[in-house]
Amino acid sequence: MSLPSTRESDAFIDYGALRALVVDDSPGMRNALRLTLANFGITKIQMVANAAEAIFQIKNRSYDFILSDFNLGEGRDGQQLLEELRHSNLISLETVFMMVTAESFYEKVVATAELAPDDYMIKPFSAELLRSRLTSILLRKRAFRDVYWSFQVQDLEASIAACDALIRNKPKYAVDALRFKGELLVALGRFEEAEALYQQVVTMRAIPWARLGLARSLHLQKKVEAAEEELRDVLEHAPEMVAAYDLLSEVCLEKKDVAAAQAALEKGVAISAKTVRRQQKLGEVAYGNGDLDAARTAFDNVLEKGRHSIFITPTDFGNLCRVQLEQGDLQAVSDTLKKNKSTLQASPEGQLVMAVTQGMAHTRTGNLSEAAKALDEAAGLRAGGTRGDAQLMLDLAGVCMASGRHDEADAVVAEVARNAHDSEALLAKAKRLYDEAGRADAGASVLASATSDVRTLNNEGVVLAQRGDYGTAVEKLLTACREAPYNPRILMNAVWVILKYIDQIGMDEAMIETARAQLGEAERQAPGHPRIAGLRLHLRDVENRFGIQRKAAR
Amino acid sequence: MKFDGTDLYAALIHELKNSLGVLSMTLERIPLQGETEHDVAVVAARQLCEGVVDRLHQALLIYKAENQQIHLILDAYSPHDLLQQIEARANALARGRFRIEVAIAEDLPALWFFDRDLIEMALINAIHNALVYARSTIRIEADVEAGCLVLSVRDDSPGYPEHILGGLADGGAYPTTGTGLGLQFARLIAQSHDNRGRLGELRLYNDPGAVFCLRLP
Repeated sequence: MSLPSTRESDAFIDYGALRALVVDDSPGMRNALRLTLANFGITKIQMVANAAEAIFQIKNRSYDFILSDFNLGEGRDGQQLLEELRHSNLISLETVFMMVTAESFYEKVVATAELAPDDYMIKPFSAELLRSRLTSILLRKRAFRDVYWSFQVQDLEASIAACDALIRNKPKYAVDALRFKGELLVALGRFEEAEALYQQVVTMRAIPWARLGLARSLHLQKKVEAAEEELRDVLEHAPEMVAAYDLLSEVCLEKKDVAAAQAALEKGVAISAKTVRRQQKLGEVAYGNGDLDAARTAFDNVLEKGRHSIFITPTDFGNLCRVQLEQGDLQAVSDTLKKNKSTLQASPEGQLVMAVTQGMAHTRTGNLSEAAKALDEAAGLRAGGTRGDAQLMLDLAGVCMASGRHDEADAVVAEVARNAHDSEALLAKAKRLYDEAGRADAGASVLASATSDVRTLNNEGVVLAQRGDYGTAVEKLLTACREAPYNPRILMNAVWVILKYIDQIGMDEAMIETARAQLGEAERQAPGHPRIAGLRLHLRDVENRFGIQRKAAR
Repeated sequence: MKFDGTDLYAALIHELKNSLGVLSMTLERIPLQGETEHDVAVVAARQLCEGVVDRLHQALLIYKAENQQIHLILDAYSPHDLLQQIEARANALARGRFRIEVAIAEDLPALWFFDRDLIEMALINAIHNALVYARSTIRIEADVEAGCLVLSVRDDSPGYPEHILGGLADGGAYPTTGTGLGLQFARLIAQSHDNRGRLGELRLYNDPGAVFCLRLP
């Protein structure tokens, strides 16, 4: 698989061939960095002033080395740039990303961030230091070539084997290889092995990333107490480790200790306020706790700090408006909508958020004719296939009920319930809606029939599959999928039985296509769900066995 | 001193450090002309400037350490790479005026756990000192002894004066100016390297020149 290898000790790096991108908002600094790089032979240098320009350049051509300042003035900062590049797969594992920082505290945060750059330089730094750091990283990436290559074609087993080879043969990279292997084991759902691996590193030395990995693998095995204990101790020694607060909040949620979950996220936000997803999570958890002030601050921050982030969706605007409404601050709602009008109108999902929010606001002020207009708008969007998050759809149902449009409300609630038949929180919220409208009985029957169809089909499908009757199981689950096209549990079960069915009877091209699409949808609905990686792997294995070629560019 | 929730001293030092960093990079861009009077002055200015930047960086860390204590970021690093980086930096600082020698023990492990940035800073500081006092040669060494990574900077100066060696012996404070500040900082860094209760240490002695030695468990 590997190219005829050059001498193992070959540490030559051709800086003249390296393509570099320098991101810095100060022209003086850009120039100084260009001279520094030229100093050791890097001449192919593109310079940009901000993250937007950097992304534009990176989409146009690939770079081997990105050197970005953390502080980029207005717009995204260096960490947000890195997150966006990795999230959108704009840079490969081979690309070197180094962060330049002058912030005395940031260095600690970035070094232990979950999504860390390859290295960071504290300003000011000498040309020699940058050069030797860059050389080390390039040599390490060279050593990891087989690991990365297998990873990029999704052959995680081969990637693990390549890590094992490094652990055995290249002591210098052993710990780096263990770290990468740990992440692969987690992605494959092999949590016990991951736990053992992290434990092995911790025995060498209790370094923060290994302890975090250990806590994560405990959490994924539902060993909640052990995970929490580990995390609390990690944070005592490394209080700047923001990723540990995120994980701690998940562990607390698992334990149903919502107050502690909120407290953990608040600590993380106090250290690093700019991470949009942490603020989103904090807003959700605080809202769930009924802490409207904290929720509003967090959702405000999401839009404020994340103004330039790709992680902002119409849902974020809806979330903020919902809290403002519940606080009775109608002026703020109207300001939020006015301020973000052009953003929201740009997509049907955004238009739906506007329509539902306006509907709620008009219902509150008793302006029923305006509320009806908003509902018509929302109904039109729904008919065209536009959907919002479950909270928004339930809000819509609430407005429908307040306007006496009960059939419409029932249809919306039934759809939410079918797609979230196992979410207690959402079903409880739907039930409350009916209780408040004095239609408790109607609600009970809508919810029961919506969930029971899906639940029955799902359960029958699973039982049939367990008995080995994959053919009938596939039928049942595909019917369930048509009823509940956004229900991640159903989607994943359908993918699972299709793959088992093909294992049993042989290739069915249409079937595998369906599985692929449904797995994609499941991932959109439940990103990072622990079952997804395993299903991906199974899918790939089936494809390989039946000779379906995937493009694999080296 | 807190003012409006901002730590003014820290912010001020931080700001000065960054301005000096830019000055330092500007000085780097003045070309040498092969004319002694000019070149000597430029080289001296560059070196002085880098020295001040390093000092301010330390001052910031020491200042914050008093408030909270130094937080290490431990990870596995290659001591070979570390020595290579220090050597490159030492050569750049020496600019041919001193011979830089490096000695790496054959059985030096491929990896060791330490805070790379802080250890680098302490060693560079020791190099700055050596550049002031050495006659002609500075030697950087890495070895393993009794379960410790031992990193040393030796020079051929007449050695540390008595009051510095004494300050170490009774565990008291070094003078807080000049060399003393840097040594205090290095000792703090070494001691923060804790491996299951065993602390790192800074050892200073004369053999016969000055030897600056970090021992990391």
